[in-house]
This record gives sequence, structure tokens and C-alpha cells, in this order.
Amino acid sequence: MVEQAGETSETHTRPVAGGMVLRPGWRMTLGSRYPQSLRRRLLLLLLGNLLLAGLMSARLSQEGAGGISALMSGFAPNAAPRILAGIGLTGIILCGAIDLSIGSIIVMAGTVFGIGYEWGQPPWLCFTACFVTAWGLSAFNGLVVRWLGLPAIIVTLAGLTFYRGLALLLADQAIEHFSGQIGVRIEAYHIPGKHWAGVLLAAGVLAGLVWELCGRRPRQWLAVGNSPEACRLSGLQPERIVHSAFLSGGLFLGLAAIVDVTNRLTIEPARLARGFELEVIGGTVLGGTNIFGGEGSVAGTVLGVLFLYLVGQSLVLAGVSEYWRTALEGAVILGVIGIDCSTHRRRKLLDELR
Amino acid sequence: MSGPASDETQPVETPARPLLPAAAGPSRKAVSLQHAAALLARRRAWILPLVLLIELAVFLPYSGIRLDSPATALTGLKFYTGDLLSQAAPLLILAGGMTLVLMTAGIDLSVGSMVALVGCVISTFPGDTAFWYTAVPLGLVLGFGLGLFNGLLISRMDVPPIVATLGTLFFYRGLCSVVMRGRENSPFYDVPGYDVLGAPLGCLAIVLVLAVAGGWYFRHSALRRELLMLGGNRVAARYAGIPVFGRLLGVYTLMGLLAAVAALCASSRDGSVTASWQTGLELQVIVAVVLGGTRVDGGNGSIAGSLLGVLLIAVLEEGLRGAAVSELRLILLGGLLLGGVWLNAVTERAEKLDSIPIPVDV
Repeated sequence: MVEQAGETSETHTRPVAGGMVLRPGWRMTLGSRYPQSLRRRLLLLLLGNLLLAGLMSARLSQEGAGGISALMSGFAPNAAPRILAGIGLTGIILCGAIDLSIGSIIVMAGTVFGIGYEWGQPPWLCFTACFVTAWGLSAFNGLVVRWLGLPAIIVTLAGLTFYRGLALLLADQAIEHFSGQIGVRIEAYHIPGKHWAGVLLAAGVLAGLVWELCGRRPRQWLAVGNSPEACRLSGLQPERIVHSAFLSGGLFLGLAAIVDVTNRLTIEPARLARGFELEVIGGTVLGGTNIFGGEGSVAGTVLGVLFLYLVGQSLVLAGVSEYWRTALEGAVILGVIGIDCSTHRRRKLLDELR
Repeated sequence: MSGPASDETQPVETPARPLLPAAAGPSRKAVSLQHAAALLARRRAWILPLVLLIELAVFLPYSGIRLDSPATALTGLKFYTGDLLSQAAPLLILAGGMTLVLMTAGIDLSVGSMVALVGCVISTFPGDTAFWYTAVPLGLVLGFGLGLFNGLLISRMDVPPIVATLGTLFFYRGLCSVVMRGRENSPFYDVPGYDVLGAPLGCLAIVLVLAVAGGWYFRHSALRRELLMLGGNRVAARYAGIPVFGRLLGVYTLMGLLAAVAALCASSRDGSVTASWQTGLELQVIVAVVLGGTRVDGGNGSIAGSLLGVLLIAVLEEGLRGAAVSELRLILLGGLLLGGVWLNAVTERAEKLDSIPIPVDV
């Protein structure tokens, strides 16, 4: 906070005719958008990612050129859902809300997609239905938070079980002889996940970054996260702004759902996207976003989620047994976040007692 | 608003309706709505038993109780209550601890995984008399350790409770699969006397001992006030001399210990354990506690309410056990959670508005 105030006070705004104030240049924007503590974290995460990628490619190059190309082709479809969902979730967390139900929303979207496939609908219709389901449920979460005035953590904790149950129920009712999973065998239904994943990921990340730097909404999310009361007093409507975060977060979640669902050969509602929320929330917190809102960035989230993904992949490469993998991934996430939080503890305590 | 009307260049429109009364206070309709909510809130204590009665009325006819004669009805009722009690015992045990956790404005999402891990570890011991003095103490110590780990993460390393316990939810669950390696262990029926823990009377004894001892201590110590203050305003609590970190550590450790006790009860009842045992238990516990009137963001809560909330859920689960669609359970649980929190929010707003005088119609 102090650093941010120091940098904005140096801003030289040029008054022009009509009393208008020109917007400060991109240098100022970058400086105030990414204060020094955040810049340091971005740099650290970038180094960590490069280190992990280097280690992995070094190990793979021992096995020949086939290993690296396999890794590269598997990267976009697997990392894209997490990163895209993380971008959407960042906006929600910036407002001081949270969405624990993203994994279950993807399950719902996947089930709707699977039902469309089973009913013989054309691919484009299935993709649209998948996207609209994910976006609609995210928007619905925001609506419930806004209408009932309840904490988002509880609304989405209810959604976590509700949507998964609903997906199972839906699949059970809509598909004859539902055996617990839907096998998607026609290649046309796999196009976005298998071939466009990289493009969608790049487009999503670019859109998120540009919006974060130039847009007004992300600023308002930060403002609401810092103090809803101050926002209300200055004429903004905190409820609307929080809802807008759920609405736009739903767009990214929809993209994530399409990539994740169409990349799979079988859709299994009971097991799909288990632990998805932990990876995404963990990556977001790791990327410097305050879980209580008011601080953070999309850039940090992208790097943080990528870091966790690379850690998981390198565990696979290191030949860790399947039984150990969940435990080790959980331990790594906990360890990294724990170290991260404890290094900031002293400053936070001093802030609290000031 | 009311500019000088004599200004000719800027004719001021007179507002269709005066703005002042609306600005001075809530409109009459809003006030009457708020008072309706306040009336509802004063009945808060009655709502839970009422819902419980409705649930019983809906589900009892399907529970196999015959009303042919008083004797058959009595035995049927006896079996039903016994079933209900042994189903609800782990929830009852955990709900008390979870109430304390929620009071401090924290949350523990890892209870299901803690229960499962303790169950998995003690299930690797052979089922004989030695089980009582090897596996059972080890399980309790393990639960203590798991809770302590949660507490250390939250108090010493300052990880937000939701992130920390979401992490340990997956970490402990991962350890379960490390211990089990895809097997299913069932030594519990072979241990002499172990079935007492899962039988209705054993469950009742454990729950009563915990509730009475805990309730007595809770009532006669400053702990309750300290925890509530901790949840309401942590900085103020620190200034008031409350050992904030120590209390947080204690609360999460107690949660782990209770999880171990619940694991003993549940393993005795179920008889076998897999790596995915008791998945989703945390949600049931949280729903029960929230239904009982405990605030999610801290500063309010009662254990008696939580126990009543557990009964609500247990009757629901028992009633839906034979239902055709098991997914309905998940959906209803989510709905209950939302309804419970909404009820709490309405209650709280109503309590705040109680001081507003009721407008008198002239």
C-alpha cells in the first residue's frame, strides 16, 4: 500500500483544456498496477517456471527428441483450463469474494456437453451449450451472492456439492443406461481441446492482461476488495461490481470448461475435475493475490498456476508412483503457500497493530 | 435540490414527490418487511425443531415402522432411533469442534480427510485384542498431530484457514491412498468389543461424555467469550490480552482429536475402510453447524444449535438412504446450507432492526 501511494504521488498529470486530465502513460500504469512487491513476485515465479521447464526439458532430452514434443503437445490442453479458470477466479477474489464451485461447474458443463453428444447434436451446438452452462452457473452464483447478501464462500460451497449432484442427476435422467461415464468417440467433438487449446489459452491470457492494464472494471474490483464501504460512499455499487466479476469470470470459466471437456475421451461426472479448485486457488494465492481481496493481478495468477502445473508434471516425470502423487502435489502446494504466507507474516502483523 | 425558483435561465422542475422522507429513513413498506423478518427471527429457536418434525413426518412412513400395535411401533421406533444415532454420532462429535472453529472466523475443510486418514492407518493393524492398545491410541495421536499441523499452518505460518485446510483436504486424502494402495481393509469386526463404539448405546455414551464435559468447561471458562472475540475482531482480541495464536492452535488441534474419535465410531459402524472413505463429510458438518445458527464469518455461535442441526441432517440422510437417486442427497445438502445461511443473515438483520420503532398507521 505504501509503495503504491509513493508511486502514484509522482504521477504528473497534465491538465488540458476543459479541466480534463490526461490519463498517465503506460509506464505509470504499469508502475501503479504492479507495485514493487508484486513485480518481485512475478520475477521470482518467472524464474521458477523457467527453472522447472529447463529441468524437465533437460531430463526429456536424455530420452530423445520425442519426449519434448510430447510434452509440448500435452502442455496447452492440460494447462489451459487451469490458467483460464484462474484468470476468471482472480477477478472474483480481487473483490473479496471466492468461487469454490468452479470444479463442479466444469462437471455440469461437461455433463451438458456429453448429453448433447449422446443425443447426436452437432459439435458447435455442444460447444455452445458447454460454454453457456459454465457461464450461466457462474453468473447464477454471483446473482445468489448479490440477492441474498450472503458470503460468497458459503454460496459456492453449497454450489460445490449442488452442481455435482445436479450433474449426476441430469446424466442419469437424460441418458439411457447411463453407466457413470460418457465416451466421446467422434473426432469432431475434440477439436477445441486438442487443436485450439493453445490459441484459446493465448487469447484468454492476452485478453486478461490487456483488460487488467487498460480496463476500468478490474480497478473497481480492487477497490471493492479493499473497502466496500468506501466504494459505496464514493457512489459505486459494490454489489453490482462483485456481480460483474462473477459474470466476466464466467466467460473465462466457460473457455476453460470447453478446453477441459473436449480434451477428454471419456466424461465421468463423479470424477471429472476433482481437486480443480485447489490447484486454481493455490496458483492464484501463489501469484500474489490476497485471498481476502483487494490485492493481486492476472499476470501473477497465470505464472502461479503455471508453476503448480509444472511442479505436478515434473513429479510425473520423476517417476513418482501414482499413489504418492496427490499427497505430494498437496504437500508442494501447502509448502509453497505456507512459506509465502509466513514470509509476509511479520509485515502483516505490524500492519495489524499499527 | 430546491434551487431558487426565480432563476429564469434555469427553470427548476418541482419534483413529483418529495425526496426528503425517502432519504430520511426506509420506506414504510421496507420497514414492515423488515419487521416481518424480525418476527421470523424471534421464532428462530422454533424453526429448527419445526423443520425436524416436518422431516420426520415425511420420512417416518418410509422407515419401516409398523403402527399395527404399540409394541411393534415401539420396537420399530427403537431401531430407527438406534440407526439414526449411530449414523449421526461422527457428525455430532465433529459438529462441536467445528462450531468452535467457525466462531474464530475460521473453517476446517479437512475434517473428512482427517477422519479417513485415521481410519485408514488404524485399519492396517491386525484385528485382535492388541488393536485396543496399539491402533486406537495411535489413531488418537495421529488425529492430534493432523489437527496440530492444520493449526500450525494457520496460526504460525499465517495461511488463511480456507486455503490451508483446502490444501490439507487433498494432502491427507492423498496420504490415504498412499496407506491403502487401492485395497479395502476390514479388521474392525474381528477386534473383540470394538463394535461397542459404533453401536447406538456406545455412540450415545461417547457423545454424551463429550457434550457434557465440553459443555461444562465451555460454560465455566472464558474460552467461549475469547473465541467469539477472536472471531469478531482479531486485533481487538490481541489487545485484550487473548493469546490469539495459542487459541487458534488449540481449536484446530481439538478438531483433529475429535476427528480421530469420530473415525473410531465410524469405522466400528462401517466395518471396512477404503481410500475414498467419508468423502464429503466436511460439508455435512459445516451444513449442520450453519443450520444451528453459527455465523460463518465468526463472532457468533452455539453448540446446542449445532447438535440440533446435525439431527436435521441425520434424519434427512436416513430418510434418503433407500431413495432411488442418491444424487438427490448432494442437492438437498447444498440447498440446506444456502437456506441455513440465509436464515442466519435474516436473523441478524432483524436483530439490528429491532430498535427501529414500528410506524403507527393514523
